[in-house]
Amino acid sequence: MKELINHTEGINRLLARYGVKFGIYKNNEFHEQLFPFDPLPRIIPADEFDFLEKGLIQRVDALNCFLADIYGEKKIVKDGVIPEDFIFSSKGYLPQCEGIKPPKGIYSHISGIDLVQAKDKTWYILEDNLRIPSGASYPMIARELTRRASPRTFTYQKIVDNRSYAGMLRETMDHVNTGGINVVLTPGRYNAAFFEHSYLAERSGAVLAMPQDLYVENNRLYYRQYEGESLQVGAVYRRLSDEYLDPMCFVPESLIGVPGIMDVYRSGNVALLNAPGNGVADDKGIYYFVPIMVKYYLDQEPILKNAPTYLAFYEKDRNFILENLERLVVKDVSEAGGYGVVFGSGLTKEELEKMKEIIRNEPRRFIAQEVIDFIDLDIMEGDEQVPRKADLRAFVLTGETTRVWASGLTRFSRNPDSFVVNSSQGGGFKDTWVLSR
Amino acid sequence: MKKLHFHSEMHLTFSSPVWDHHYRFRCIPMEDGIQKTVRADYQILPGNCRNLVSDGLGSQAFCGSIQEPHSSLTLITDGEVEIDLRERRKEELHPIYRHPSAYTQPDEGIKKLTRRLLTEYEAAGFNSGKKDRAMVQFFMDQLSQLFFYVPGVTNIRTTAAEALRGGKGVCQDYAHILIAVCRLAGIPARYVAGMMVGEGASHAWTEVYLDGMWIGADPTHARMTDESYIKLSHGRDYEDCTIDKGCFKGCAFQTQQIQVKVEEIS
Repeated sequence: MKELINHTEGINRLLARYGVKFGIYKNNEFHEQLFPFDPLPRIIPADEFDFLEKGLIQRVDALNCFLADIYGEKKIVKDGVIPEDFIFSSKGYLPQCEGIKPPKGIYSHISGIDLVQAKDKTWYILEDNLRIPSGASYPMIARELTRRASPRTFTYQKIVDNRSYAGMLRETMDHVNTGGINVVLTPGRYNAAFFEHSYLAERSGAVLAMPQDLYVENNRLYYRQYEGESLQVGAVYRRLSDEYLDPMCFVPESLIGVPGIMDVYRSGNVALLNAPGNGVADDKGIYYFVPIMVKYYLDQEPILKNAPTYLAFYEKDRNFILENLERLVVKDVSEAGGYGVVFGSGLTKEELEKMKEIIRNEPRRFIAQEVIDFIDLDIMEGDEQVPRKADLRAFVLTGETTRVWASGLTRFSRNPDSFVVNSSQGGGFKDTWVLSR
Repeated sequence: MKKLHFHSEMHLTFSSPVWDHHYRFRCIPMEDGIQKTVRADYQILPGNCRNLVSDGLGSQAFCGSIQEPHSSLTLITDGEVEIDLRERRKEELHPIYRHPSAYTQPDEGIKKLTRRLLTEYEAAGFNSGKKDRAMVQFFMDQLSQLFFYVPGVTNIRTTAAEALRGGKGVCQDYAHILIAVCRLAGIPARYVAGMMVGEGASHAWTEVYLDGMWIGADPTHARMTDESYIKLSHGRDYEDCTIDKGCFKGCAFQTQQIQVKVEEIS
């Protein structure tokens, strides 16, 4: 461990050199930030990972069932299990995707599930990300560099090799590929996660494509090569959000995007990873219902717990929220990336009253959660080890079966008092070691 | 039963040549049981390479692309349709038609109007709990007293709330307002784009879901639709039903002319 700590500076320097950055828009300007790496890993013992793995697979399988149901039969709504308000007035629900049967029936191929561990060691799910969860590349490259810096660490400790991610990603694409090459579609270098797009393409053997490299002809998708013939595309791991994917189907003003790609997809002539319209299953409102989905679709008890959550939509929950606001955290269901999160404890009396008023007026918009006192992980600050809040994004890939990558992205907050660990809000990351025994 | 002949021409002209032009024309009469296409011909100029695609809501469209520079695009449709309202059947309701959509999001004005209409409906001796044709007819009658057909005031991006505030508009605005009001009043409603007997532009109206069936209501003319309407598409609002949608490269202004003629043959 000591050896790793000594190499921190060097590793961070290499990360900067490889362009391991993420972009952030502030005052309409694009800034690239380094994502600081902390050498002390999060260590997950084998039995704990087994438990997480089972729970995550179960959760993602249920979410895939839910998506197939919503864009198909809608049984869960007809059976009155989930109020339709949470589905059909959600921004993430796209009627344009009605009736589309994605290749092999998979909607969420690459899911990023955010978890935290409470002081009593209980794991809680914080959030599901079923659209374009980013972050897998950071622990991949960090592991590569740490292995290089300190090979002995990895010889003497039984750490599961995490270099399998690229292969898993490739298998996931191959499984749904309808015939043709795999591409990673990036909006371009001004995207927050451009580094990741290029890295994942390179590692998984897919072609990195910008929207203008792709075109539709005769209801097929093609990749335009600089020289030679165009190649047919069978699977697109697209890192472009739904609304910009196809100007003919979604936002017509979109300058990026591939006109007609949705028609090709609807015809079953290309696979899109992840499926457009997945946003209906990962907003903060629907989160409340995921454990219920597990029971409904799989007839199983949910293995992993949600953080205790109250839905302002239900009168009983709303009253509870209004009475206990000062100790709860309120989240706006339509916001993401750490935005729209308010801690009741941080509000003045007037602000509390104002918040209550807003919740009364727009109950559908809010959920409230108990603040989980989660485990601190030590980070290095200078030569000192100091505790910081950290979460874990687990990557769950669904192809022939659903699998959990034996690693993940551990993010920590910079600020010692902050509970928000989203990288858009500052903070750094750690490697996540899963032990093999 | 009526048999209608339709002929429509749409000309898009560009102030300077455009290229890499992708288009989608929702110009095909729907086959919904009530309507049956006897014959239909479609011509798209330049170029006739096109695909027939469907959207998730039940309508079909021609889509294609023109790579070469061009300054105009013409769509000509001609055909015959049989319309028989007796063929109307019960269908399952898609829940999206109960909820507000981008163009039909109610603001205070729409909410106030809806409350007023429901109160007046009660005052006129009706039961506002009973959702039926009489109620929709009442909404349309009242709407025609406070909203006036004046072209050129609104545009294709005007929402129901904005149109109502201005008090003037065209068939699209009438349809959006009626949809917003109906949904608030508890009647699922959807937007319909199509053509009706006569000569002129294309038309838009509303369908309301009553007793398990979709019934046409034309707020512009304050009447339920009959067999002289040809339906091309339906959806939550205008956005789902645009007859022409496209994107192209080039720096040009686009002007669109539509000429529709529908006549009864038998």
